[in-house]
Amino acid sequence: MNELEFYAMHQAAYRWMPHKSVVGQWSRTNFVSLPGDFYDAALAQRAFEDFIEVAKNTERLGFDGIVHSEHHNTPIGISAQAMVTSAYLAAVTERILIAAIGPVLNAYYSPIRLAEEVALVDILSHGRLILGLPMGVGGQYHSYGVTNPALARARFREAQQLLIRAMTEKGPFEFEGEFFHVPYVNLWPRPVQDPHPPIWIPAAGSRETLELCAKNHFTYQVVGGSREVNTRNINLFRELCEKEGYTAPANQVAAVALIHVAETDKQARLEAEAHIGWQMQNFLRSTFQDSFAPGHVSEASLRATALAAGGYRSRDFSETNWDEMIQGNLLAGSPQTVTEKLEEMTTEMHAGRVILMFDHGSTPRWMIDKSLQLFAEEVMPKFRPAGGKPIWARGEDRRRYTTASECAAVTPGPKAVPAATLADGTIVDVRTAHVAELRRPVDL
Amino acid sequence: MAAQTAKWPFYTPPTVIDVRGLATGYRRAGTGPVVVYLGGLNLWGKWLPFHGALAAKTDLTVPELPGFGEAALPDWLRSVDDAVLHLDDLLAALGISDFHLAGQGLGGWVAARFAVIYPRRLRSLTLISAMGLRVKGSPLYDYFRMTPDEADGILLNGTGGKYQQELDNGDYVEATVRTFKELTAAARMAWNPRYDVRFDRLLERVTAPALVIAPQQDRLVPHSHAERYADLLPSATLRVIEGSDAPTAHLALLQEPARLAALIAEFVVAQEELS
Repeated sequence: MNELEFYAMHQAAYRWMPHKSVVGQWSRTNFVSLPGDFYDAALAQRAFEDFIEVAKNTERLGFDGIVHSEHHNTPIGISAQAMVTSAYLAAVTERILIAAIGPVLNAYYSPIRLAEEVALVDILSHGRLILGLPMGVGGQYHSYGVTNPALARARFREAQQLLIRAMTEKGPFEFEGEFFHVPYVNLWPRPVQDPHPPIWIPAAGSRETLELCAKNHFTYQVVGGSREVNTRNINLFRELCEKEGYTAPANQVAAVALIHVAETDKQARLEAEAHIGWQMQNFLRSTFQDSFAPGHVSEASLRATALAAGGYRSRDFSETNWDEMIQGNLLAGSPQTVTEKLEEMTTEMHAGRVILMFDHGSTPRWMIDKSLQLFAEEVMPKFRPAGGKPIWARGEDRRRYTTASECAAVTPGPKAVPAATLADGTIVDVRTAHVAELRRPVDL
Repeated sequence: MAAQTAKWPFYTPPTVIDVRGLATGYRRAGTGPVVVYLGGLNLWGKWLPFHGALAAKTDLTVPELPGFGEAALPDWLRSVDDAVLHLDDLLAALGISDFHLAGQGLGGWVAARFAVIYPRRLRSLTLISAMGLRVKGSPLYDYFRMTPDEADGILLNGTGGKYQQELDNGDYVEATVRTFKELTAAARMAWNPRYDVRFDRLLERVTAPALVIAPQQDRLVPHSHAERYADLLPSATLRVIEGSDAPTAHLALLQEPARLAALIAEFVVAQEELS
């Protein structure tokens, strides 16, 4: 069996949205402009709390990580700010990795703001953050009010450079870009992970994105597309890594699959079929004009992904049925069936990481939990080294310290003395100034 | 480039010249007063009956704006002003210095901005369904999200069936790629905001006589925008283009090519006679 890392994804969808056959009365699709009349505060709270509970459960079950995303101004995912959600997840979990895939850089006015959030969440989570940097769904550019999709790719590239430089280079330094001119890049606080949290890039297969991942050793998260298209893209990615002078390790490719595990194949279909259909018909359905906001993709990508047969959204997703999906990226069935399919898929893709969507947007929490548990106990151990531990339980503790005594032991000593000038003009060490005999001029 | 070999009804090959490194196409015909006409979001790469009718009475030049028609989308196109400066370069290369400027839709915005920057260069300004203004509470229809199914209702108020030839853009894939490029060019100029609030102050600079033409039922650019242009331009007349068998729509130039051309030509000739 292939050795795999397991990341469970949850969408935090607000499922009480109109079906595709009637949504046209209010909006072209559920993207972008579904009226706020459909929003109910109690249901939204429930959707979000279900998501949090599922995330907590994945840690107890021994998944390597939780993957979550952000969407803007749409019921398809109400966790609209991935870094805010990550901070909360950091507080309600202990050890599991938190993959925020992710904050949409182009929804930020400045990448410096995101760098601060990344650093903060990395500190709060004790170095458990994985940072995903998606371009953002085309349709959502309509509701940011920040970035022009026609400049999105260029701005994204530059924002990413600034973000990584802010996290890796000591400030202050000046950044002179086309979109961002920051006279003093000087990040406080800084991420715990060195040089920065691992970066994953979700990509439908555009060459420029694959080159970016290959060059920077980012994880290529394989999104959309048929298995044939994905395999072609992964092969290209591996060639690009070779050109950069290294062989991509298996865990530099993250496969994405829909999944549902039940007692039997038949039971898995009974449980999941309607929810998978719901996702295809309501969650993913958008118009060409929304998916491809002007300039959001290059001409080459448009031809390759949207207009070529077999490419991303070359047909209406919502017409995809169970039988077609089970031939593709849907792993559904008994633990035995899912084990076989997972082995086949990850072998085909040379993938060492899998992002598994146990949640299909409308799947109830009890059903997700059941599927998660069957998977964790009957499938996951087969793809792990002896002992079955998740990666976060195998190595050293990622925390810089766990007790005050350790903190004192590992800190080499501050680089500056905290001092203050008193009324008489004396500059004192504030750490000892409350003790009369120690209140004396300090050597700075 | 694939677009250069693509063919569709009313396609004519443009004359192409190099303008500061950008191969820029234009179509020119007719004799009489010199008129430069800037098209809108749609109908590029065509010499339509409207163009023919206008060229019957004027010396008409129809340039391709950067990113539209067969023109590549240059990296430097970031705003309407970039299109204005490129137009100035093109006209200099063509030796056109004293002329009447007209524009439709987005082309109307470019024309109005050209007039603000070079107010003394124009003999007259004609705006047809022009974008570019903010009229609070009366926004443009969101053309960036408009689906092909909606286009007929928005652009031609449901009369599109009569203009299948004019609307035919040839091969589906090539037309989709070209339209995407044109919308990208439009987004570079006008994604956010989709208006230029400076016009409220600066249109006063446009001293040339102006004609503001509005269709009877423009579902893309509300009538209030034409009224606002007519208010802000110091010497403007507002005219509504009437339909012979149906109320005119945003693409009145397809519905009433001769009538629209006559309206513009009469205005242009009258300005020539006045001067």
